[in-house]
Amino acid sequence: MLEALGIEHAYGGRAVLSVDALELERGTVTAVVGPNGSGKSTLLRILSFVERPRAGAILLEGGLVVGRRERLAARRRVTMVEQHPYLFPGDVRHNLLYALALHGVRGAVAAQRADAALERLQVAHLAQRPARDLSAGETQRVAIARALSLEPSVLLLDEPAGIIDRAATAQLYRVLDEERARGATLCFASHQLEDAYRWSDRLVALAEGRVSRVTPENLFRADVPGGSGAKTVRVGPLHVQVVTEKAGPATIAIPADEIVVSREPLHSSARNEFPGRVTRIGDDGRGGITLMVDVGVELAARITPRALDELGIGLGTEVVLAVKAMAVRVF
Amino acid sequence: MDFFADGLRRGVELILGGDAEVFDITLLSIRVALISTVLACGVGVPAGFMVGTTRFWGRRAAITVLNTMLAFPTVVVGVIVWGLLARRGLFGSAELLYTWWAIVIAEVVLAAPIAAALTAAAVQGIDPRVRRTALTLGASPLRAHLAVARAARFALFAAVVVAFGRVLAEVGAAMIVGGNIRHYSRTLTTAVALATSQGDFALAMALGLVLLALALTVNVLLQLFQGRGDA
Repeated sequence: MLEALGIEHAYGGRAVLSVDALELERGTVTAVVGPNGSGKSTLLRILSFVERPRAGAILLEGGLVVGRRERLAARRRVTMVEQHPYLFPGDVRHNLLYALALHGVRGAVAAQRADAALERLQVAHLAQRPARDLSAGETQRVAIARALSLEPSVLLLDEPAGIIDRAATAQLYRVLDEERARGATLCFASHQLEDAYRWSDRLVALAEGRVSRVTPENLFRADVPGGSGAKTVRVGPLHVQVVTEKAGPATIAIPADEIVVSREPLHSSARNEFPGRVTRIGDDGRGGITLMVDVGVELAARITPRALDELGIGLGTEVVLAVKAMAVRVF
Repeated sequence: MDFFADGLRRGVELILGGDAEVFDITLLSIRVALISTVLACGVGVPAGFMVGTTRFWGRRAAITVLNTMLAFPTVVVGVIVWGLLARRGLFGSAELLYTWWAIVIAEVVLAAPIAAALTAAAVQGIDPRVRRTALTLGASPLRAHLAVARAARFALFAAVVVAFGRVLAEVGAAMIVGGNIRHYSRTLTTAVALATSQGDFALAMALGLVLLALALTVNVLLQLFQGRGDA
């Protein structure tokens, strides 16, 4: 649907983005993860045709978008909601009507679309409120409603759940799921790995402006007890067996490729066995499958499509994840 | 002190008595100032907008040139325009020298950089998300610029008012290119200079008071809009 090729971008001589190829497929949700300053926002701005990259091309439905007219036409199909969205002066409803008017939608149709979008984001009660009186979370939801009212083919969101509470986040992602079901292509940047795994079909990790091969998954902060050799570390409700010399606050990483997925508990050398339920099945973008399994915390496990078939795994299937204590990294 | 008070009293009498000379000069001054301001802003505001919002090669140099032009001595502008409009000058055939149009030309050269510099500063101060948001919502580049202009409207109005004030109070260039010809190219400032040198202190005082009243009006307007901009 939307494809970036050979994108290079720099601010004041400092390279901030270098992406060889990235495609957002129609009707899918892509999550872009990475630490602050990794280039997520810049990537979204370039994909939404707001910023021109120093080099490279963006294709919309296979067609190169270059000229002024093409860019304008593309911007009317691709929209973005910034991390800290801006609302124009005036009330909330005016903001949606203004956006709709830019798309040539006016009168009763515009009013109906604006109200429906506000309703979906559960901010209909704010319709008459001046935009400047809203809290940050309300502003974000109104901005998302404003974007949705335009019924975009591609919707890009920068940290959509950055400032709203967990309940509102779940509601938001449900709305985004509906958008996907409508056929829209979605992409969101997030530093919340859990959200990224849970709500996306595909994950793109950015590090220093480049698409990273290693996806930062199954990372947890934990306190490691003193002593040497095998230890038990608490990660939320889990007791994870690790082998490390390290003690004190640390990051625990359980590599998704090192997790063995089975339907029954195994008699094996793996010191860690976590029973859980599959909550999501997604393409890992490299020919494999990423399973999200709720074992008390969400863990990502990578398997082959064949293994998925043979084990007969579907959403909600009860599985057991096994991982050797030696495979758990502590740093 | 009697001389001063007497001059002031007779000046006020001239104004209140509806003196034709004072009225004539005031009208011409306002006409010249208004036309100059419209033309200067017509050039300066879009130019300032471009400098303030777009990144292009030589932008820093353009800002430096603009800021230098703010401090351009008015008599120098007068001499340059005089040279261009004089019979033997580049545009001599237009026969504009010593007409109020010549004053308009000189004032536009003086006021356009002011309008441009203040516009650039005004739009640079606007949240960059305004333009980006308009673009993401499907606005054309022109519509996105209008959204920025709307956000900066108070500061932009201030730019126009400051340009008007500059044009109204300018004397050097107006004297050189206008020639201070009665009923023809005599503005408030050039008339005050002439009346003073001729010893007609009452007339100079009357014209000075009118100029002061106009400058006060302009500044009150400016304060009013800047105050609203802060709100």
